[in-house]
Amino acid sequence: MVVDDHPMWRDAVARDLAEAGYEVVATASDGAQALRLTGAARPDVVVLDLQLPDMSGVDVTRGLRAADPAVRVLVLSASGEQQDVLDAVKAGAAGYLVKSAARPEFLDAVRRTADGDAVFTPGLAGLVLGEFRRLAAAPVAAGQQAPRLTERETEILRMVATGVPYKQIASRLSLSHRTVQNHVQNTLTKLHLHNRVELVRYAIEHGLTDET
Amino acid sequence: MSEPHLTEPLWRAIAVYRVASLGYALALVATIDRHDYSRLDWAWAVLAAMAVWTAVSTVGYTRPERRAVPLLTADLLVSAGLLLSTWGLQFPADLHRGVMPVTATWVAGPVLAWAVRYGWQAGLPAALVLSGCDFALRGGAAGTISVTLDGAVLMVLAGVIVGYLARLAAAVERERQHAIEVEAASRERERLARDIHDSVLQVLALVQRRGAEIGGEAAELGRLAGRQEAALRALVGGSGQAVLTGPVLTGAVDIRSLLATEASEHVTLSAPADAVLLKKEEAAELTSAVRAALANVRRHCGAQALAWVLIEDEPEAVTVTVRDDGPGFPDGRLAEAAAAGRLGVSHAIVGRLRDLGGSATIRSAPGEGTEVELRVPRAR
Repeated sequence: MVVDDHPMWRDAVARDLAEAGYEVVATASDGAQALRLTGAARPDVVVLDLQLPDMSGVDVTRGLRAADPAVRVLVLSASGEQQDVLDAVKAGAAGYLVKSAARPEFLDAVRRTADGDAVFTPGLAGLVLGEFRRLAAAPVAAGQQAPRLTERETEILRMVATGVPYKQIASRLSLSHRTVQNHVQNTLTKLHLHNRVELVRYAIEHGLTDET
Repeated sequence: MSEPHLTEPLWRAIAVYRVASLGYALALVATIDRHDYSRLDWAWAVLAAMAVWTAVSTVGYTRPERRAVPLLTADLLVSAGLLLSTWGLQFPADLHRGVMPVTATWVAGPVLAWAVRYGWQAGLPAALVLSGCDFALRGGAAGTISVTLDGAVLMVLAGVIVGYLARLAAAVERERQHAIEVEAASRERERLARDIHDSVLQVLALVQRRGAEIGGEAAELGRLAGRQEAALRALVGGSGQAVLTGPVLTGAVDIRSLLATEASEHVTLSAPADAVLLKKEEAAELTSAVRAALANVRRHCGAQALAWVLIEDEPEAVTVTVRDDGPGFPDGRLAEAAAAGRLGVSHAIVGRLRDLGGSATIRSAPGEGTEVELRVPRAR
């Protein structure tokens, strides 16, 4: 499913996907429409523009993942990696790409998302690194544990953030390409899990206070 | 004029002063100078009047609107009146001997009030008026003039200093308020600008895409649009970082916004989502070091070389890594070059970081580019 409020973009992306052999099951021009259509269309991958007129892309991501935890969301943003990209990734997005990426890069990103791999840009790696550090330094609630990166994962993220191609990371660390991708994917999974736990805890706390 | 909330502590202090000096005057009459008074009951009457006026004026001044000319003038007149009324109290001889009038130090109340409200320009005249009354009262006999003069000088000093400081505090508060308003307005502007930037970036990216598809002249247009898109996105990425008021006041600076200007179509910046704060001088030095490293990349790898700048924020230190995709060089070469004195720029970088108490490490391998890791420890 392609979600973008700019009609030319929507059509261009849908066309590229169709030409590459993907089936575009739905297109939406705003968040509400995307959430409405997702139930019936059941997409495997959603290409989502973060700048939507009615809802933030972050909320749409959350809604899509809640409706179908198996869906893979690739977020696109025109203005680069900022707080909202990090929030979308925390809310369950599988990866991020800038809108002006060339077609081959875009199609590669969609393929990797469909395969279940994370799509990282150097900027996103920097944001994710910063997020783990922030969580490690922040005061921890009772019974909670801040998610941690292993040394290996930190090393790999740092290399992604400085633009080292996956192949080079693999050879430098004497790992297979697949292992590197798994490590990167793990960092996202840790963030997603932590976010989900946080949301549940928040809901419980506030649900209880509503009842009393 | 003066902002009420800032001068509140001063008004409270004045009230405390009045009560304390009233207590002092009571103590004087009750214990020390009994026999100096020809009309003791009159002294108690004056003290009673002082007590009443202390209560009235303190209550009056609690409301900011009432801190104005009418109440202040009444305050001054009552104090002067009570001061002068002691003329009949004390043996004329004793007055000239320099005995303190019943009102003692209490008369300074209105001087402070005028000073806090309208500055030293009002505190000074009030002090002069009361000093004048004091002189009129105690006369200018040779032996006593120094005592009266002391009192007068102290009152004038109080009026001027308190007045000046009160105005200063008010001015600082106004400027701070203004800065906060400007800050809020600029943040609002940035938010609006972001929406516009996104639309422009989208259209440029579309033009690039379609241009490539159509081919010919359109492709060239597309490439131009693509370059502008990258440049604008790099610019927007920098200004998207939040501008904080806190750090402005504490002298700390967000290194991300300083390094944002280096982002371009060839230089990619990766940073945490939150501000990375450093002391102003440290931030400036680090930025110069990064700029030097990037200039080095351009010099050794050409203008088209790609570089990445990663900012990391850890509790112990801030680390900025600059990596390029150039040819790289074997480890040994670095030491040789240093020995041959050809590493002028790298020397400067290492030197700068050492001065900050940090470190600069250069790593490279053939075919893997060069990495410069700049680390600035945090004093915690």
